[in-house]
Amino acid sequence: MAFERNVLLTALVLALFAPLVLQGDYAMHIGVNIMFSVMLATSLNLIVGYIGEFPLGHTAFFGIGAYTAALLSVRAGLSFYITVPAAAVVAAVSGVLIGAVTLRLRGPFFVIVTLCFAEVLRLVANNWVDLTNGPMGLSGIAKPSLAMSGDILWQKVTFFYIGLLLAGISLFVSYRFVYSNVGRAAIAVRENRFVAQSVGIWPFYFGLVTFALAAGIGGLAGGFYAHYFSYVGPEVFGFSFMISMIIMVLAGGKGTLVGPVVGAVIVVLLEEYLRDFKELRFSIFGLIVVAIVIFLPRGLMGFITRRHETYKGPDKAIPADKAELRDA
Amino acid sequence: MDLFLQLSANGLVLGMFYALSALGLTLVFGLMRVVNFAHGELYVVGGLIGWALTETLGLNFFVTLAIVVVVLGIAGYLIDRLLITWVRGQGEEPTILLTIGLSIFITNTALLIVGTTPQTVLSPFKSKPLFLGPVVLTQSRLFLVAICAALIVGAYLLIQRTGLGRAMRATFQDPMAAQLVGIRTAHIYGFTLALGAALAGAAGMLLGSIYVVQATIGGVVSLKAFVVVILGGMGSFPGAIVGGLILGLAEALWGGYVNTGYVDAIGFGLVIVMLLVRPYGLFGKRIERA
Repeated sequence: MAFERNVLLTALVLALFAPLVLQGDYAMHIGVNIMFSVMLATSLNLIVGYIGEFPLGHTAFFGIGAYTAALLSVRAGLSFYITVPAAAVVAAVSGVLIGAVTLRLRGPFFVIVTLCFAEVLRLVANNWVDLTNGPMGLSGIAKPSLAMSGDILWQKVTFFYIGLLLAGISLFVSYRFVYSNVGRAAIAVRENRFVAQSVGIWPFYFGLVTFALAAGIGGLAGGFYAHYFSYVGPEVFGFSFMISMIIMVLAGGKGTLVGPVVGAVIVVLLEEYLRDFKELRFSIFGLIVVAIVIFLPRGLMGFITRRHETYKGPDKAIPADKAELRDA
Repeated sequence: MDLFLQLSANGLVLGMFYALSALGLTLVFGLMRVVNFAHGELYVVGGLIGWALTETLGLNFFVTLAIVVVVLGIAGYLIDRLLITWVRGQGEEPTILLTIGLSIFITNTALLIVGTTPQTVLSPFKSKPLFLGPVVLTQSRLFLVAICAALIVGAYLLIQRTGLGRAMRATFQDPMAAQLVGIRTAHIYGFTLALGAALAGAAGMLLGSIYVVQATIGGVVSLKAFVVVILGGMGSFPGAIVGGLILGLAEALWGGYVNTGYVDAIGFGLVIVMLLVRPYGLFGKRIERA
């Protein structure tokens, strides 16, 4: 708990000063991408790591957020400061609705039905041309007035700090949530559903609360994405965002708050680094997923904390003459 | 009325194809408890090999089909022995993630090699229309329906009547007891996945001769196959057929009478309703619920 808090605060301070050290709009663009990915990974991790189910259609909430922000901005002309919170709220509400259906299912069925929802939403985005412009997508989404007042570098720096603020809020809320009674109850359900039920925890309810929070953060990321790229098309429901999210969470370590942040940084940098390889990139990503599942099932953070635990070691806590108690 | 008959006939033919494409999945799912998210990608690989051998090398259709079955069978066996064996016994989640990683890899590697162009497997069957009263069907589709039925029956007999099938069922009922009576369970796991992969590849090649095969359609094929399996109940052969027919009919009728934009959403709607009403599927056993 203290370890996670300290790491996250250090990361925050480092990020605050990053624009002073890393000059140039390319570095800032990567920074914005990292902030956006941190939000997405945190959102997916709440479900994978704390409910213990795997939503393969998690892009549904990201897409709902992106389309909400885009529609409110393009059709109603609302400003950034209203559309982004609205995106989070709409996504959270749809999270409650979708969660109410999907959380009754477990294992492969949960995976498939969440994917079904994302596919249906993609079809709606493609076919409801009057509202969403169909495959053309919505373009010309207004950037916040603050960002428009300077040159391109100023724009990127503004977006970086806005992203940092939103990612910070997401992580702060997740932190408070995970270490609250609701979060602990969710972990109890993940570890052993029947024991949790026997002490009076209602799995469905706690799952639903977690699901709504995760959906809200996903929607926040979607709103931010819409305004940064000022374009949203049906591909926001597509699988490539899902692939990145999966790798971030798995590589970093699910079920920890630091893990997805580390994973997001690694994946964004790796994507930039592998840009030369273009299409080969995704093949490599597939292999990475397979390798992580086999060799590093708890991710980087899981690996580090386990090393940490064995280093402190239970052996040292028990005096040598009582060792047979441990072995028994 | 004629329109209804024609749409129903199209739906039933489509349904048989769905049943065939879901067969490998339901087998692996029902017997092994392995959720193979790379199923659709194996289908695509089957189709692409079929296209490459018939179109570019000019091989005979049936020889190619045999090659596809053998190649995919070997691939399935290796996938099990090299990858899935690492996560066996760790519950569902690692296998799901592993096969998702595998599907990402196969799709994008296939994209690298053949690109996004849709391809067709050369078929020896004529697309000459047959008139059955008011209903028109093409010869090639009827031939394929027959081949589908033969494959489904063949797989069923393999599981129920042969020594290998008995060893498979024993292994998945109780691996320890199966080992004690001398069954090499590691091979049986491999053979089951090989059978699933071979069926997926055969389906990809057969349907690739009517529709198109494209590197990126694996995900949709997997999803539709899952829809069929959930509708029918997992691991059940009659379930796969009935599930496929229901999906095919629903899509054909919806596409004919309502609109074509949302045809692909029908299956997902059916699955959501099915899982809420009857989570073990039409033919599943009650204990095997979601």
